[in-house]
Amino acid sequence: MTTDYTTEELMACAVSRELRDGELGFIGLGTGGRAFIYAVGVPSVAIALAQHRGVDFIAQYGVKLEPRIPEVPDCFTDANLLAWPCRAMILVEDCLDMFRRGMMDWGFVSGAQIDPYGNLNSVCIGDQKQPKVRLVGAIAQTDHCAHARHTMIIVPHERRVFVERVDFISGLGFGDGPGYRERYQHHGGGPGKVVTNLAVLDFHPQTKRMRVQSLHPGVTREQVEANTGFALEFPNPVLVTPAPTPAEVELIRTQIDPRGVWLQAKVS
Amino acid sequence: MREKVMGLREAVALIKDGDTVAIGGHTLRRHPMALIHEIIRQGRRGLKLQGWNNGIDMDMLIGAGCVASVETSYIGISAFGLALNFRRACERGGLHVIEHSETTGLDMFRATVMGMSFFPTKTPLGSDLMRTNQHLTEITCPFTGEPFAAVRAARPDVAIIHAHTTDKYGNVQLDAQRWNDQSADVLIGKAARTTVVSVEQIVSDEEIYRNSLLTVLPRKFVTAVVEAPYGAHPCGCDARYDYDLEEVEKYYEASKSEGSFKAYLDATVRGVADHMEYLERIGVERLMRLTRTRVARP
Repeated sequence: MTTDYTTEELMACAVSRELRDGELGFIGLGTGGRAFIYAVGVPSVAIALAQHRGVDFIAQYGVKLEPRIPEVPDCFTDANLLAWPCRAMILVEDCLDMFRRGMMDWGFVSGAQIDPYGNLNSVCIGDQKQPKVRLVGAIAQTDHCAHARHTMIIVPHERRVFVERVDFISGLGFGDGPGYRERYQHHGGGPGKVVTNLAVLDFHPQTKRMRVQSLHPGVTREQVEANTGFALEFPNPVLVTPAPTPAEVELIRTQIDPRGVWLQAKVS
Repeated sequence: MREKVMGLREAVALIKDGDTVAIGGHTLRRHPMALIHEIIRQGRRGLKLQGWNNGIDMDMLIGAGCVASVETSYIGISAFGLALNFRRACERGGLHVIEHSETTGLDMFRATVMGMSFFPTKTPLGSDLMRTNQHLTEITCPFTGEPFAAVRAARPDVAIIHAHTTDKYGNVQLDAQRWNDQSADVLIGKAARTTVVSVEQIVSDEEIYRNSLLTVLPRKFVTAVVEAPYGAHPCGCDARYDYDLEEVEKYYEASKSEGSFKAYLDATVRGVADHMEYLERIGVERLMRLTRTRVARP
């Protein structure tokens, strides 16, 4: 029973272990494919796992609070999303104000680029005035990063994502290092954890630089270094991310995500 | 009482070249596509677009050559990914993009609706939104000394939104069954000097009286209303109809090159006389299919 789990199941379990009783977390809904699995699927399954452990965690999908996670529709059209049972549908300005008031414990975010200080970019590759690649824009990333008590950053571990300097800071991490966030007296604490397909990473409390917390089972230090565009600190000895237990895998496959909507993006 | 019903052509004529035009909707939801098609048919130029979360609406206007600048937090085609006309225009240079987050994109309208010249927020501080967006500037709270960003109030020349119903006087309603990301449409509709609303259906005075809780834009805020059934197509319209994935995919494929997109616009928008002809080309069967997928909660 040591290998029977997918990377996405492992990531969901790793995220789930960080969630505490009484917390509130925000998930966006607007993507497809792998971006969907990372930004939406993994945190959703993580929250459902925590709830199964008895953790009272409130999931907020934009304006929709506490929808029944296993009852997610197969197809994300509005008619289906409207019919997805939930406890509250609030106004969009209220839903974003919950960030600004400092009520959000976790912002689950992703991005096209991340740097050693956890700054995120979803605006452009190259110069903003005439970019090499124009991306979609800042969306709510700026809000997550400014206001959430911590952000949980879920991104694919690739060299083009983990860069020395992001081309545009649309989501503020620790800026250029210690003291940067404090200058603006942001209520949010900034980047908490980074969960990738290779490792769990966090940030050094003094230097604010990203470091490896644990490598996923079977992943080597060299593999992580080869896929990261900046120097990472590794713990000594190197820790291994706990594998999902057979019970967790069973729960995901039979009760939380039986149709593969969340972790296999079987969504149309 | 003043009646505000207009035809699509007449309503869009209220928009002039170079105007600042705010557009309602969210991702692939309820953008005022019938109005946007007519803007393209009338060949408006140099528009300065504003919104809080956009997509095919702005991308189509950009691809049609109507746009000088955009001010929003998102232009993408939802699950399809990047908005390719927008992408091409940015990468070529010349399209001015004013970057917002979702909250600052709303704040610029909220300020206006509250009668203020700016809205205070901490959201963009320390990010490159502050560096690149001339409508954001750092200020200090006079009471606590804390740093804030001021978001400049937006005062669009024209707002265009799509809603469910109105009476002939312009009391605009949204169904109770609606996706609340659209609450931003109300702010956008209230912020403009001229507000043009297309609706699925114009209803009687009595109907509005019966459901007054659903009136989101009382007539004082509204300049013109246009009846445009399926007026958000190919976007979805809450519980009334879904987005038309077949059409969005066709759009997305066409937008991969300038040439194929021009051909798409010629066939789908410029080459049809009006909204009814557009719907005829989409076809009753497809429109009914989008409508029939409505899911009613048991």
